[in-house]
Amino acid sequence: MDLSILSFGASGWGDEMLVGAGMTFAVAISSYALALLIGVVFAACKLSPIAPLRWFGNFYTTVFRGVPELLIIYLVFFGGEMLLRSVAEGIFGYDGYISLPLFVTGMLCIGLGAGAFCTEVIRGAVLAVPKGQHEASEVLGLSSWEKAYFVIFPQALRIALPGLANVWQVTLKETALISVIGLVEVMRAAKIASGATHQPFTFYMYAAVLFLVITSVTNKGFVRAERWSNKGMER
Amino acid sequence: MSEQGNAHSRTGIELQNVDLFYGQFQALKNINLSVAQGEKVVICGSSGSGKSTLIRSVIGLEHHSSGSIFINGERMCTDPKVMAHVRRDVGMVFQQFNLFPHLTIAENCMLALLRVKKISKEDARARAMTYLERVHIPDQADKYPSQLSGGQQQRAAIARALCMQPQYLLFDEPTSALDPEMVNEVLDVMVEMANDGITMICVTHEMGFAREVADRMVFMDRGQILEIGDSEEFFTAPKHERTKNFLDTILSH
Amino acid sequence: MDFQLMLDSIGPLFRAIPNTLMLTVTSVMIGFVIAVPMALLRMSKSFVLSKISAGYVYFFRSTPLLVQIFLIYYGSGQFRSELEAVNLWQYFREPWFCAILTLSLNTGAYVCEIIRGGILSVAQGQWEAAQVLGLSRFDQFKDVIFPQAFRQALPAYGNEVIIMVKASSLASTITILELTGIAEKLIAETYQPLEIFIVAGSFYLMLNFIITQMISFGERRLNRHMARNS
Repeated sequence: MDLSILSFGASGWGDEMLVGAGMTFAVAISSYALALLIGVVFAACKLSPIAPLRWFGNFYTTVFRGVPELLIIYLVFFGGEMLLRSVAEGIFGYDGYISLPLFVTGMLCIGLGAGAFCTEVIRGAVLAVPKGQHEASEVLGLSSWEKAYFVIFPQALRIALPGLANVWQVTLKETALISVIGLVEVMRAAKIASGATHQPFTFYMYAAVLFLVITSVTNKGFVRAERWSNKGMER
Repeated sequence: MSEQGNAHSRTGIELQNVDLFYGQFQALKNINLSVAQGEKVVICGSSGSGKSTLIRSVIGLEHHSSGSIFINGERMCTDPKVMAHVRRDVGMVFQQFNLFPHLTIAENCMLALLRVKKISKEDARARAMTYLERVHIPDQADKYPSQLSGGQQQRAAIARALCMQPQYLLFDEPTSALDPEMVNEVLDVMVEMANDGITMICVTHEMGFAREVADRMVFMDRGQILEIGDSEEFFTAPKHERTKNFLDTILSH
Repeated sequence: MDFQLMLDSIGPLFRAIPNTLMLTVTSVMIGFVIAVPMALLRMSKSFVLSKISAGYVYFFRSTPLLVQIFLIYYGSGQFRSELEAVNLWQYFREPWFCAILTLSLNTGAYVCEIIRGGILSVAQGQWEAAQVLGLSRFDQFKDVIFPQAFRQALPAYGNEVIIMVKASSLASTITILELTGIAEKLIAETYQPLEIFIVAGSFYLMLNFIITQMISFGERRLNRHMARNS
């Protein structure tokens, strides 16, 4: 194996791969942020006393946890574009070519899938806060919003952190699937490079190593966050 | 006063014909009890007799199915406004302390002062310290609950309740979750509070404490009040056979 | 919504289910066979053996399945002459072989951790009790520890099986026409993604439902057995 093809500059593919890794990280971070937002909203739905909201939340998590991400990607990639086009034509009378940026499509696909997992993690964490915490807040006269914000949420966050760290790992890995719609992240870069050099193993292995690096580094961040959130918990 | 004995007496806690069901199971049966301001009432009875349910329904943690509960003349119901109002006058101490584990002891005491009473941070801190001194743990103020012993945690929980300066304080088996050697430090604090004149309703098995502070004793069995009496009389000459049996078993060890 | 298209797509999509099941079932079984010895290696006292297992688990859990599939299917092409020399190329040029190999190695790593967690959850006293009864090390594991560990691990294991149903969809990226592969083909032909998604998605949810039922049936059986003995 000749590793000089991994060097930077015109002769090597090292710089293209690193740019791809940067794109992977950017998609992963944005999808994760979206997933957290979705998770909080849908966990609230699923815990809501209003039955239709609960049904809606259950429908979302059942579908998006049970259907392969690849299928979701095809739905959003093809469907999102068509939706956009019909809106553009129907409302604005514009019938030219129009499409979502690949980055946004990718973020939506991965975020929607990961959001379902976030929802379950957050819901489980809220339910894991002991009943006595609710009662103590209530007898002190805190409103239900104050109770949620000052008492339940901080404790649920601590319980949810390991699960959320896990969702981050899954999200990061799933961004690889975005390569099928053509966004040049690390997998796409590896595909292009191996097509040009006929060294697929070298480049997919390099992609794997880049994923390992991102996973390991970000994992440290979560470990630190967990330690910080456990203040007051250990004896 | 002329209002004494009136169903809508201005002050005090009054339960009239209170029933409470959990599905088919009747946890409270036709409870009638009135507690005047300044009075100390101890409720005893075997487990499952409904004594915890009774005080939890006073503060709206359980909702009675029929009958009425009045606090200072206000009728308790599920309306959040009414419950908020009642909870300004009534505090509660739990068996499991229920301190907020992510907040320090002082922050536990200050939270409701800041959010409900809306007093300034400095005043809240000062008041928290006052009451932490009353329960003899001012030096633990900046620790987290898990760093304290059980007895200290329960005293912190008492301080948290006192900070809201309630007229009435409910205790739900405050010493049952404690190691034996820590029971007395909590009871001592409760005796001091009783001497300060706060109205207390205590569910407890600590009969020594009951004898010392209770004005009246209530004995419950299977969701009913079997006997209410002056504490002296209750201990020396219980009327009911079941009360006698209960006192015999609990005082024999 | 084009209901006619949905009806028309049911046939082709349904005929793709055996492929999805084939991929899932085969790799779940092979994965389990890989996972048990790997879990034991991981807990062995030998530093080298335990590190080998840890490295395997780390690699397959920390990299995307897509990378793993491409690495094995496309990557093996880089070593074609070497593989031909040992008569293995005939396998590695087959998408089915590569898909099942990757899925098995991938799920093996996750199941290894699940089993290890289950074994660690069994109280130390169980090992000791089995030991003082004079059971061999192998019997201690087989008759005392593993049954308890498996019961503990079953919910997580069931989850992993459902994840594998979804993971089998990645075989479509190396030309295997299972459920997602057919769905993609239909979407690209008809440009009606929502209709196809609803039908294909429903099939996936049905498969998941059946597996969930099977797992909870298994759980009930194991727990009934426990209740009888206690």
